[in-house]
Amino acid sequence: MAENNVDYSAKIRGVVAQDLLSGRIDLLLGWEKGHYWWQSRPLFARDQADLERLAWDSFCAVNLSRYLVDELKENKKVGVLLKGCDARALNRLVQDNMVPRERVIAYGLPCPGMLNYAALLEAAAGRKPDGIAEENGQVTVRGGGVELTVPRDRVLLDKCRHCLYPNPVHCDQLLLTPVGERQAPERFSAVQERESLSSDARFAYWEKQLERCLRCYACRQACPYCSCRECFVEQEQPRWLSKASQPSENFMFHLIRAYHGAGRCIDCGECQRACPVGIPLQELNRKLIKDINELYGHYEAGLDPGQEPPLLTYRPDDPAAFSEK
Amino acid sequence: MIKSIKKEHLAHLWERLASNGPLYLPVKEGPALLFKPWREGAAVDLETVSSTVSPKEVFLPRDEVYMQFSRAGQKLELHPAVQEPAGRLIAFGLRSCDLRAVELLDMVFCRKEPVDEPYAARRENTTLVALACGEPDPFCFCTAFGVDPVNAPGADVQAWWNRDDLVLEAETARGEALFTLAGELLAERNAVDRPERPATTDFSLPLEGLPKRLKERFDDPAWGRLYRSCIGCGACTYVCPTCHCFDVQDFGHHARGQRFRCWDSCMYKEFTVMAGGHNPRLTRKERVRQRFLHKLQYFPENYGVYACVGCGRCLRSCPVNLDVVQAIRALGGETVEQR
Amino acid sequence: MSSVNPLLPYQVRLLDLITETPDIKTLRVAGGNGVPFDFRPGQCAMLSLPPVGEALFSITSSPTCTDCLEFSIKQVGSVSSALHALSPGSELGLRGPYGNGFPVEDLKGKDLLFIGGGIGLAPLRSLINYCLAHRADYGKVDIVYGARSPADLIQRVEINERWPAEPDAAVHLTVDAESPGWHGHVGFVPAYVSELAIAPENRVAVTCGPPVMIKFVLKALEELGFTPEQVITTLEMRMKCGVGKCGRCNIGSVYVCKDGPVFTLAQLKNLPPEY
Repeated sequence: MAENNVDYSAKIRGVVAQDLLSGRIDLLLGWEKGHYWWQSRPLFARDQADLERLAWDSFCAVNLSRYLVDELKENKKVGVLLKGCDARALNRLVQDNMVPRERVIAYGLPCPGMLNYAALLEAAAGRKPDGIAEENGQVTVRGGGVELTVPRDRVLLDKCRHCLYPNPVHCDQLLLTPVGERQAPERFSAVQERESLSSDARFAYWEKQLERCLRCYACRQACPYCSCRECFVEQEQPRWLSKASQPSENFMFHLIRAYHGAGRCIDCGECQRACPVGIPLQELNRKLIKDINELYGHYEAGLDPGQEPPLLTYRPDDPAAFSEK
Repeated sequence: MIKSIKKEHLAHLWERLASNGPLYLPVKEGPALLFKPWREGAAVDLETVSSTVSPKEVFLPRDEVYMQFSRAGQKLELHPAVQEPAGRLIAFGLRSCDLRAVELLDMVFCRKEPVDEPYAARRENTTLVALACGEPDPFCFCTAFGVDPVNAPGADVQAWWNRDDLVLEAETARGEALFTLAGELLAERNAVDRPERPATTDFSLPLEGLPKRLKERFDDPAWGRLYRSCIGCGACTYVCPTCHCFDVQDFGHHARGQRFRCWDSCMYKEFTVMAGGHNPRLTRKERVRQRFLHKLQYFPENYGVYACVGCGRCLRSCPVNLDVVQAIRALGGETVEQR
Repeated sequence: MSSVNPLLPYQVRLLDLITETPDIKTLRVAGGNGVPFDFRPGQCAMLSLPPVGEALFSITSSPTCTDCLEFSIKQVGSVSSALHALSPGSELGLRGPYGNGFPVEDLKGKDLLFIGGGIGLAPLRSLINYCLAHRADYGKVDIVYGARSPADLIQRVEINERWPAEPDAAVHLTVDAESPGWHGHVGFVPAYVSELAIAPENRVAVTCGPPVMIKFVLKALEELGFTPEQVITTLEMRMKCGVGKCGRCNIGSVYVCKDGPVFTLAQLKNLPPEY
């Protein structure tokens, strides 16, 4: 994608500029470059000068749909650039009545997967990379006078490795050509590995992972399904959760959050990407997705806004493990 | 006094130093690098320049019980929590930016009355070993704040790499006591030149006179744009070496329990909300402004120095790349925006 | 180095619990030797009731009252609710005093105008009783006090009997709306202040109450000719430590817990409007 970044960005800019300048939308949510070539951060564009900074490259990982909840309080109509995962996030927010769909113009961006700076560093084998070029599923990392080429799959963000829906669904306008099906590895492999452990070993594994949780709640704040106006974490009367960073409290937070996402998590992986200490939160989410699939039949959250999440509907033949016991 | 140890013998050194009390050093846990007490098998990493989370937790733990309570009928007993017999703490491998941050925390907790006894006790009881930086991380900009990456004032021992040797120079009596504890594991060494000061970016930040300009720009519309990307998590505050806000909570039931303090973040909306519901810092805009002004205006007004050390942790960890450099660039200049 | 953790409370006993209004009670507490610390009017203290927590309240008794500390507390949060539910004889935790308090030295020789609304009388009461106890040091005392209804007025013995009986003192009571049995003034506090038109010469106004009341009282005082240096108010913020370290009660570089809660209007005008 890199060699065409400039063209793509210009093409996107051209389309959204028309809508922004004509007043069809009051605000465009997109991305602009950060301090570094490997950072693209949210852009809140209101005029042509803002749009000049719009960038679409392999580092636009931030899911912008979550910003709609707040921005629609101040703007009548908001345009938003959405990757495959972001588009399903929007569908979820619409299903939860957090975002009125008619006040959003969703511009779809087929996504080849976003790149991981840490993986690029590793690929640079000790040299300091100062840029990349991309061609035919290969990424060339430049640095220290040397160029090293690696398959794109090797340097993807964790959250993109198992992507099943790189092309945005239910958008108002698709801005670029759809990308082809990706050969994604089986996404439940880590879950199956954990399931094969004894419960003691599984507990030890999670205790070790969750021990480093800072309780910064970046996972929750980045998450498109965590849209409760007041989270149980902050409720004081009664207080469900202590701020002590004890194993019991860390487990309580992450498990309640994962269960709350059952059938609603779109597996976008923003939680794991946002986590400053790298807790593999997608494993927890995928365990719930796998269980839901096994108990209620295959369900992909956010894919079809007309199809209610299984735990928000009732069917007489739903499994009733609790009442049977 | 200068001594050294070969890289391959460091595991022995860790074991020795940990025999006398907790030895905190940078340990790899998953993809994160954290200051943790050394344990057999810990993945110590002295190469990576800055830890994911700053070493402030050595002195200001994420949570810390300081009171026990018990109640029988109308009688209430309140006791200071019994501190675990810690022995002497050693914090090994702090970088120059981390040391400067400890100095800033000292200003708040030790030098301003009343002295914060739990912090001061831990601080008093800790030997600090600073490690000079070789190649800086791309996120580093400590030189902008006058930090010298290879020389950390305030350290008890200054260490640096000389090829595969870790060279250590004792700067204080505590440092010499650490040499005594290490004993024969450290070899005598003639004076070795300290490493060259590496080049870091300083982002050409307009720091001269910044607090005054920020004060004038409190109502600047630029704040209204800067905060928008903030998602309201506390990642920046928790990885930051100088953020030190805390909360006090009780844990337990009517008859018995504990009171502890724990990290808290000015980025959370609950941070300032009052019992009746009024919140003086109601939106993310006020909260983002508070965090950056605390570092760049309020702390300098109260203590005469910036509360940023250029460690770059917020540049690395913010999920949406909203960091202190971006704030200084957006609001550090002369122009007050009219909009 | 101090060896005492400044966050550690100690036990005191609840002597009595007086119901002032449907949602305000006055707690009278004392340690083994009565009042456990020296303090100035306008200072605060942290009351603890584990495992519910602790919260900061202004001390409503005057330092001249030596048998106990008094706190008038409105039931709004979990700690205040738990304090309201205590029975006399119960023990609770206390630490303090915190904050700067009122500038009692600077006020000497001045006429005083106190303006309180609802629970906002609590910090003022400490200063009023202090000034009345040192009567010769202070000039005329006017007290304007209002609440939503007659049932919401606190310290009724003092506002109706004791204070009006003091030499050179007047109490002007008001309630927001007409009420059966109420023959006094009706109307909001700021309007009453304008109506009374108390002259600003050699006078200092001290006000405390709900934010909206303070806002309009400040405006009324300005119209009467009070300068920002002649107006004193107290602020309230969420606090945890009380000693300027936990980081939540700052307004700009000022910490309300230790640099406040008492500010002149001139000082407030120099601070960001974040309170």
